[in-house]
Amino acid sequence: MATLEVRSLTKWYGPVCGIEGVSFALDRGEIFGYLGPNGSGKTTTLRCIMGLIRPDGGQVFALGERVVAGRATQHDRIGYLPGEFRLWPGFRARRSLGVLASLGGGDRAQPRRGQLAERLELNLDRPVGELSKGNRQKAAVIYAFQHQPELLILDEPTSGLDPLVRQTVLDLIREAAREGATVLLSSHDLGEVGAVCGRAAILRAGRLVEMAPISKIVQRSERRLKVWFADGALAPQVPLGQLPGVRVIEQQPGLLHLAYQGACETVLRWVAQFPVDRIATPQTSLEEAFIEYYKTASATAPAAQTDSTPKVDQ
Amino acid sequence: MMRHRVPFPFALLRFWGGRLLPMWAFIGLVIFLVQIAVCAIVHDNESVRTFLKFLDVLPPFIKTALGGEMLQAGNVPGLILIGYQHPLVLFLFLLFAVGAPTTLLTGEVQKGAMELILSRPATKTQVYVCASLLTMAGMFALVLVMFLGTVAATRLYDFGQPIPLDLFFRIAVNGGLVAGAAGAIALLAAGVLAGRNRAVGVTVAVLVLDYFAWIVAQWWPRLSFLKPATLFYYSSGAKLARGWPLENMGVLLLIILAASIIGGVVWQRRDLPL
Repeated sequence: MATLEVRSLTKWYGPVCGIEGVSFALDRGEIFGYLGPNGSGKTTTLRCIMGLIRPDGGQVFALGERVVAGRATQHDRIGYLPGEFRLWPGFRARRSLGVLASLGGGDRAQPRRGQLAERLELNLDRPVGELSKGNRQKAAVIYAFQHQPELLILDEPTSGLDPLVRQTVLDLIREAAREGATVLLSSHDLGEVGAVCGRAAILRAGRLVEMAPISKIVQRSERRLKVWFADGALAPQVPLGQLPGVRVIEQQPGLLHLAYQGACETVLRWVAQFPVDRIATPQTSLEEAFIEYYKTASATAPAAQTDSTPKVDQ
Repeated sequence: MMRHRVPFPFALLRFWGGRLLPMWAFIGLVIFLVQIAVCAIVHDNESVRTFLKFLDVLPPFIKTALGGEMLQAGNVPGLILIGYQHPLVLFLFLLFAVGAPTTLLTGEVQKGAMELILSRPATKTQVYVCASLLTMAGMFALVLVMFLGTVAATRLYDFGQPIPLDLFFRIAVNGGLVAGAAGAIALLAAGVLAGRNRAVGVTVAVLVLDYFAWIVAQWWPRLSFLKPATLFYYSSGAKLARGWPLENMGVLLLIILAASIIGGVVWQRRDLPL
């Protein structure tokens, strides 16, 4: 049984679509990336999973139990990090985190909280109101991880953190998954999703439009080819009409930078007609894949809006 | 699968209780001191006459608000009651009645802490119950402090006649129900409305209108039909003098239950503006 299962989740805010027909399932120990630009419905999905808002349709099963809005379903086993973490400013971070950990019976998280604070280099004895944005985010990470949850729902966990602390947080996520926790990681930071997640889903205008392993998402996008021509040879004009799916990214006298879709055979056959010095195939990053995906999705927007079923690769 | 039972969030009750304590203690202290100050004036006949002469030159509704015909030299219980109906005391009760539930419910939503509270093992209903318990307990405790102020004053001053403390106890308990009803109206507003300012504004408007309707209905016979629609009607001194006004107490209890339950149901069902 999946640790977290979301079935046809739908939420409307009046006439505005929050999310529609979102479905996915996460297995134990999996780190799942949830990608999408601002307003695409990531936070809405996470709040529905936590039962903080009532969906208009669909169901969520967390740790084997159906989530009912407002009933704190399995919340003692779930760690939640909201997109905007706001604690009581007048209280010390230690007290605020302690109060929240105590909900649902005694504060058993105290030792773990101390360890996490040490690792993230956060002084818990300072009032929350005096903490910088980055330090408040560290407190948010401690809040989500302190009770060693089996399911982590993280909304932009590294937002506002410096690169070193960001690495520590990503390590914490990996360690939690190694110990069997399931992680749903919502983020705009595609680098971090690529670094820790095995699979990811892409959300666009409230609809899930892609769900696949990270490597496949990257592969589906345009691929790159850089060709340096032998000394003195000029880069030839690319016959775009004969090479469908190919576009020129950069053209200099001895260099041609191409992007293509599908198999590289046709492009290589054409390039082989010229005196080539060397060839490179730059790796497409997840970020490039994501941007490319959105360009494509925007171009086919009407079709995407009528069909909310994502392409799914396991 | 068996539904996981969520234990009651006593930690939240303690935490919120601690947050309300300074406001409650300040209001309680002022109410206590007002009772002693009123008794300090009314235990001396000369001071009472001066005070009543002063009231006679003011617009008549002020005397009505402070007790009306009960304010006579020699009617010591009636004069002590000024401390229970004084606008400052009523304002302080109103302050707690409105401040407590709106701080705990809409205030926490607005500050962002409610999202954190509800993402821990605490149901929305439990959170509402915590706010309700603290509001009601706080209001009743304030009424008890008011009564204790009278008890302390009877030990401090000689009134020349026995003071019927049992009457003041009945008045305090009944007053506790009136205060509880005000708190329940604030809870209803906090449970139903989005935004703390809106909840505070609506509650204050309802309670102030209610108070003035009561004053005007007493003062102007043509509007006396309004009396049963006001909360203060159910704290009638005449009925309390005869014994426990069970009918009035029943109406007040009904208002408390109805407002609290409706507020709780709406709070549970609506999406909070997190």
